[in-house]
Amino acid sequence: MTPFRTILFAVALAVTGNLRAESPSEPANKPAATLPVAASLVRVNSTNQAFNFVKPWSKRPPFTRRGIGVVIDNARVLVTAELIANHSYVELERPASSEKIAAEVERVDYESNLAILKPQDPKFLSGARPVQLAKDVQVGSEVNVVQLENTGAVALTPGVVTTITVAPYPADGVALLAYRLTAPLQYRDNSFTMPVFAGDRLAGLLMRYDTRSQSADLVPGAVISSFLARAARQPYTGFPRAGIAFAPTRDPQFRRYLGMTGGQTGVYVVSVAHGSPAEKSGLKKGDVVMRVDGSDIDEDGNYTHPDYGKIPFSYLVSTASLPGGELPIRVLRNGGVIDLTLPLEPRDPSTILSESAIVDRAPRYYILGGLVFQELSRSYLREWGGDWRNNAPARLVYLDEFQDELPSDRGKIVFLSQVLPADTTVGYEDVGANVVERINGLPIRSLEDVAEAAKHPLNGFHKIELEADPGVLYLDAAEVGRTAGQLRSSYGLPAVENLSDPATKAH
Amino acid sequence: MSHFLRPLLLLALLSPIVGIASPDLIRKSLVRIQTVSQDPDYTTPWNTGVIGQGIGAGFVIAGDRILTNAHVVSNARMIWITREGDPNRYAAKIKFIAHDSDLAILQPLNLDFFKSMRPLEFNGIPEIESTVMVYGYPIGGDRASVTRGIVSRVDFQDYSHSGADSHLVIQIDAAINPGNSGGPVVQDGAVVGVAFQGYSGDVAQNTGYMIPTSVIKRFLKDIEDGHYDHYVDLALTWFPLYNPAARHALGLPDDGQGVTVSTVFGGGSSAGIVKPGDVILAIDGHAVASDGSVQIDGSDVELAEVIERKFKGEKATLKIIRDGKPLKLVVPLTEPFPFNLFANAYDVKPRYVLFGGLLFQPLDQNFVNDTPLKNSRTRYYFDHFLEDNLYKERPEIVILSNVLSDPVNAYADEFRQAMVDTINGQKIKTLDDVAAAFASPAETYVIEFVGASRPLVLEAKAVAAARSRILSRYGVGSESNLKP
Repeated sequence: MTPFRTILFAVALAVTGNLRAESPSEPANKPAATLPVAASLVRVNSTNQAFNFVKPWSKRPPFTRRGIGVVIDNARVLVTAELIANHSYVELERPASSEKIAAEVERVDYESNLAILKPQDPKFLSGARPVQLAKDVQVGSEVNVVQLENTGAVALTPGVVTTITVAPYPADGVALLAYRLTAPLQYRDNSFTMPVFAGDRLAGLLMRYDTRSQSADLVPGAVISSFLARAARQPYTGFPRAGIAFAPTRDPQFRRYLGMTGGQTGVYVVSVAHGSPAEKSGLKKGDVVMRVDGSDIDEDGNYTHPDYGKIPFSYLVSTASLPGGELPIRVLRNGGVIDLTLPLEPRDPSTILSESAIVDRAPRYYILGGLVFQELSRSYLREWGGDWRNNAPARLVYLDEFQDELPSDRGKIVFLSQVLPADTTVGYEDVGANVVERINGLPIRSLEDVAEAAKHPLNGFHKIELEADPGVLYLDAAEVGRTAGQLRSSYGLPAVENLSDPATKAH
Repeated sequence: MSHFLRPLLLLALLSPIVGIASPDLIRKSLVRIQTVSQDPDYTTPWNTGVIGQGIGAGFVIAGDRILTNAHVVSNARMIWITREGDPNRYAAKIKFIAHDSDLAILQPLNLDFFKSMRPLEFNGIPEIESTVMVYGYPIGGDRASVTRGIVSRVDFQDYSHSGADSHLVIQIDAAINPGNSGGPVVQDGAVVGVAFQGYSGDVAQNTGYMIPTSVIKRFLKDIEDGHYDHYVDLALTWFPLYNPAARHALGLPDDGQGVTVSTVFGGGSSAGIVKPGDVILAIDGHAVASDGSVQIDGSDVELAEVIERKFKGEKATLKIIRDGKPLKLVVPLTEPFPFNLFANAYDVKPRYVLFGGLLFQPLDQNFVNDTPLKNSRTRYYFDHFLEDNLYKERPEIVILSNVLSDPVNAYADEFRQAMVDTINGQKIKTLDDVAAAFASPAETYVIEFVGASRPLVLEAKAVAAARSRILSRYGVGSESNLKP
């Protein structure tokens, strides 16, 4: 090993000048560039531009992310969704020739963190080898994280799968199957989307890496194959989720209270989301979910998967089944056992009061005489930085976090986000982050309601009723109309409203 | 540091010494106060608390009384006072204490203490830019120290002792350090304030604050009947009326007068009398400008100042417009601000109930000072208790604050800091409700928490079996304290 290490170290220094670079222990017996996986790799450069949710009419400065995609069937490329989030321009690059071509996003799913790219000309990928998914990855399997050197040569970092479980994904509130592996990874010039291979088959895509513990989390083959199956259907439906929160049933005093006998297992349902598949199935708070799709659920909510061992039963709902199906579930209710049928549906966007992440589309807003109205979303709250839970307006954080407890007919949470100082808003400058209850007497459940209410001033005034102090604001309706143009020009607003349908993308 | 000191010295040398009473005279009034205090620990509420020592200042005023800050003698178990040139220590006790304005009256047990002492007189609000002298015992020491300062501004400010009150404050450019507290600030031989708070060096330097004589005189008048009543409060919020559209919509002329009422807090003096949306045009005959200021004695002050000067039992007369019609409202000022939850409390014992190793405590500022709130729902409830009218549903937020681990509560960890909603179906509105619920006999106690969670179930038998085990293992003297 020693001579090889020395050589590689020298190369690394010459190319990158990076003194901290350490030699990965690549298998010395195989010339890396000729590995079969090389033919499946494509560089992906994505220029992304996020929206500014505090100034919802503007975009942030563009930045570029680089990553390595893998070629899949029909001349397409698979990457992580994070790589291309809020993309303005995506480009593919052949590693060896540096030949480039523009690509479009054929399908993206931010929950499963996966996206399919398509080059403008399918011939661009001729000669490439579409990957096959590795099927038999287990805890202990040896895999290789794949990166590309500047030369186009493949750099492999071996690692071992240490854990397979359902783990949080980058998107808020999403947990899907993930492989965790230990690998002493050193980053080449790309940080997003590194494919991980088991032999010459794709084991998963790397979605995060912790340099201190040298552990990496992968989107595993199982999630990729479920995504590809969903992507092959029209219309696309996302990963299903039951829509429940549950608590374990290990506490013996609690078990006796529930009337659970010695051998009975399962988890206690503490809440059922409005409009969720769980609600449709008839599941109720207080039920104990004992079996899902024929598998026994233990007291912590796990079942035994033949390959992965004990993993949370949410995998059965989200990933293990095909879209559009349903699962039999068995629950313990008031001491009796009943069978229910859980439809497999993704979260219905219309039931979401505060969206988790708004990607690829401009924030909606409506400006009335300098008062800026927006709908609450996690993307807005995240503008307060890493510690947004403590720094963002507490009332909005609370409404977002506990939105499932609000009445199902609550509608979107429309709030006055800021006041643009203008003649119409004199004295209102310090009002902000205040939830709107009514405008001109009309209850406000969406920005469309704001626009509609704005058409019906009361006695020549707009009356805006807010949840918190100062309670009520008035605007002179005629003056609002008269000064709209002036407001636009003095603040450089491209428009005083964006009421685009959330279902349509900005691109 | 040295480059800071030199200009300062120069200034001191150049400043003319005019109209300042002989320091010796002031020293005949100055009192050094030494205390031993015991602060309760809300994380182990059954314990006796942490013993500490402190040094502050005070001064003799008419009627054989010693005036100092409330915070100098709060939670004191022993108070000793000494005077300049007398090696004896005299025991003293608190006669009156006002935590809301950080003032206290002490009395030595032996009234001989006042022989050869000279009471100080009070003056009004000193002029901006005028010079004042601050007396006290900064950073300890046995000898009095004097510093000179300029009056920088007079403004409403928070009083950090309670953390929930704000009154008039005079800012001076002399640093006020621990040990200065309670000392007289003197001009022309008379007291113009009591030194009481400052900033730590990393925030601002050479900034000190004193309590003006208007606040002191109010305190002295309040206790004339032998009892200190809290400041009274209208317990409402208001919003300025600058906006022309708002004025026109409410049918008001463009005369720059009036503010609108936003919130009227339940349980406060105005509840049931003033309504949100009312436009306040005048208070006690003082016209209210659209920024909420009133003119008193020729100067502009916030309308709250009118109430500041009043005492419990007095009335405030409001001239208002409601639904377009003028009305006269009389608000009897019977109540202080109804929520003392957010004020630091002193000389109180932590309240708690321990049951099956589960510790239940009501949320208040003292609790939060000792225990950071990590549960986001609980933190929200505490922070927004008033703003979001949460007090209407439950006057007290009772949480499961800690779990003294034992087999009986082996699975209770997930409920830490959660708010108790019901126990055996009984709504929990105060800590007393918790004690009552556990006192009523049952086979099992089912505790439901606010928000989505499973119930916590305790079997009475298991709790009884664990009782003495938990008390001895964790050294708990008493299972509950319901009296503050």
